[in-house]
Amino acid sequence: MKKLMVLMLGLMIGFTASAQSLPDVKVETQDGKTISVTELADGTPMIISFWSTTCKPCVMELNAINDNLYDWLDEVDMKVVAVSVDDARTVSRARAMTQGQGWDDFVCLYDKNQDFKRAMNVSLTPHTFVVDGDGNIIASHSGYTPGSEQELFEEIKALQ
Amino acid sequence: MKKFLLFIGVLFAATLATNEASAQIKVGNGQISVALESNNIYYAPDKRMVELGLDKPEDRIRGNFGSNDYLKVDYRQGRFSVGVQVDGYLPGLYGYDMYTYQQRKSTLSAFLTKYVQWEDANWGVRVGDIFDQFGNGLIFRTYEDRNLGFNNSLAGARAYYNFNNMVNVKVLAGMPRLYDVRSKNPVWGADLSLSISDMAGWYDGIISIEGSYVGRYQKGATELFPTKEEFGTTVVGVDSDIVNMVSGRANFEYKGFSFRGEYVTKLNNDKFNAALSASKGNVINIDLGYNYKRFSASATFRRQENMAAPIELVESGIGGGNTINYIPLITRQHTYSLANLNPYRGTSVHTGGEIGGQIDLYYSLRNPKVRGKYWNFHANFSMFNTLNHKSGDMDMKSRNAWIDFNFDVERQWNKSVKTTLFYSYQRWDEEINHYDSPTAHYCDSHIFVADVTYKINKKHSVRVELQYLNSNDYEGDWVAGTIEYNFAPKFSFYVSDMWNCEAMQDGQYGNGIWNPDTLEYEGNALLHYYQVGASFTHDFLRVQLSYGRNRAGYVCSGGSCRYQPAFTGANLAFTLSF
Repeated sequence: MKKLMVLMLGLMIGFTASAQSLPDVKVETQDGKTISVTELADGTPMIISFWSTTCKPCVMELNAINDNLYDWLDEVDMKVVAVSVDDARTVSRARAMTQGQGWDDFVCLYDKNQDFKRAMNVSLTPHTFVVDGDGNIIASHSGYTPGSEQELFEEIKALQ
Repeated sequence: MKKFLLFIGVLFAATLATNEASAQIKVGNGQISVALESNNIYYAPDKRMVELGLDKPEDRIRGNFGSNDYLKVDYRQGRFSVGVQVDGYLPGLYGYDMYTYQQRKSTLSAFLTKYVQWEDANWGVRVGDIFDQFGNGLIFRTYEDRNLGFNNSLAGARAYYNFNNMVNVKVLAGMPRLYDVRSKNPVWGADLSLSISDMAGWYDGIISIEGSYVGRYQKGATELFPTKEEFGTTVVGVDSDIVNMVSGRANFEYKGFSFRGEYVTKLNNDKFNAALSASKGNVINIDLGYNYKRFSASATFRRQENMAAPIELVESGIGGGNTINYIPLITRQHTYSLANLNPYRGTSVHTGGEIGGQIDLYYSLRNPKVRGKYWNFHANFSMFNTLNHKSGDMDMKSRNAWIDFNFDVERQWNKSVKTTLFYSYQRWDEEINHYDSPTAHYCDSHIFVADVTYKINKKHSVRVELQYLNSNDYEGDWVAGTIEYNFAPKFSFYVSDMWNCEAMQDGQYGNGIWNPDTLEYEGNALLHYYQVGASFTHDFLRVQLSYGRNRAGYVCSGGSCRYQPAFTGANLAFTLSF
């Protein structure tokens, strides 16, 4: 236990402010193709939100982002990536839900084996990341309270 | 306990001191990331619950404190990554299967998992603990679910190769984890998928065919479980120390239409229930999907017979996590508490199989140019029946075990008001849920929910939720309410109550105290299951604190469930990751 604590302390002292980048793991797209997460970094800043069909606050957050998206796009260049962590049991429900909630403007990804989720250390959903155009993770938020989507927008704005 | 608190304290202090939104540790060209999740409960004495026999403190043999903790550290440099995870059960939380496993020991327990991985463009190798699945997982799936306390990661090796998206081959082998021990039973498998559409150069849709093989070995299984006569009936034993399973799949997707079909079969006798004969098994699973603009539909049909494949055959292995394949419940997992009071848990474990399906319909009515004003409609129907089977010498006919019809209508009126109305009709056979009974006893429940969110301004919002359940089951009617107040983006507070408002039903059912002399329930419990809680979020830290009464019932996650005995207590949960 002591050794572990020393290790942890060592890690804390070693902190730098430089950003972490997107991991090289594979996910499925809306049309069933497999892509690497690193392909998301195409120069446009993004909000990456991890959600699942049984997570109510996740759906609330994505709906709130969707409601604001046109206003935001007037001010900044950005995209929204909705990553479903539903397993094989509910992935078809997740696909149906993205259409049924009108999330047409989102990039919808499916992380059936939860490789992306594990690599990003997401334990509770919703978990949202703000990522710059080069794939560097700028900010991370877990949980959702109505109105907290504004903070994501401010962080995206700061990147422009 | 002291060491644990000290450790947490140090971690908290160090984390808050850095106060960097995305701090991380650079080592050479790589980066280290750390995640900690801790779930702690103090079980408080509750006279009323004990008096009613709902809470049994004497069952909590590890005392009044439980803590499930997970610390994960990963190092990543380009395509290379390596990581460890330490799970601490200090001791484990009451109601998790781990609690039962831990009873075998007298000390606190920890479990270490680790991996090294190389992920190239078209191939990858991983050595150590492996999380993977073949197809829908019906033949093989290793995964972690902390809500349920499941983790069956395979300690071994995995390699895959992808040839131009046309051919994908994967092989793996290892020893699965069984709660806090590593099973000695090796599991191995291979998976092949062929993309016909890519081979034909057709990129408008997907046509693929796939197949898998999985094997498991348990030393001496045939000697441990021979065919024998028991109370005049023959209980069939295990026919081989090795169980072989194969799966075939076909997928088709074109212009909003999708079809996914899978057939899985177990070629050897396997024993997953002490009372049932060992047997071969099979599953048929068909998923259909269709979407057009803002309408979408998805349907699943599934028939399964004796397909549960345990890591360790029953008697040496117990718990819902003792499995190398994944046959989840596909009924809707509700988010409103009263709709989730008596969830469907499947009948296979008692009757050997089930047949049924579910259908989902979604429609969003909105003007694409006007955001912040829309209707979302969702309807869902699911139904499952048992299969014709034998219970001892008795022939049991197929009968209905579960029906759920539910719908919800969500209306965003304007930027500040949103309402959701929800209704669910649930019908279940109380007998078949507990054991393989020849007579059915159906319960019918109607659940009504109204949920309103009002955004006062950009930062402040209130959410109110009212629920009513009308039922003829043993507990009768319930009402529930929640008030939640949010200060975005950091704080959230809530108060909720679930009240069993109707305790007696025709003198037959009730949640009063059972009197063995009069053979009746006496007195009305009319118990309030209250909760108060708060959560705080700051960058990569999230803390939740709550106190209240918890009803005994099933906690379900991802289509699997575990039984949680009733308790009253304080819960402190936090996660941090960077």
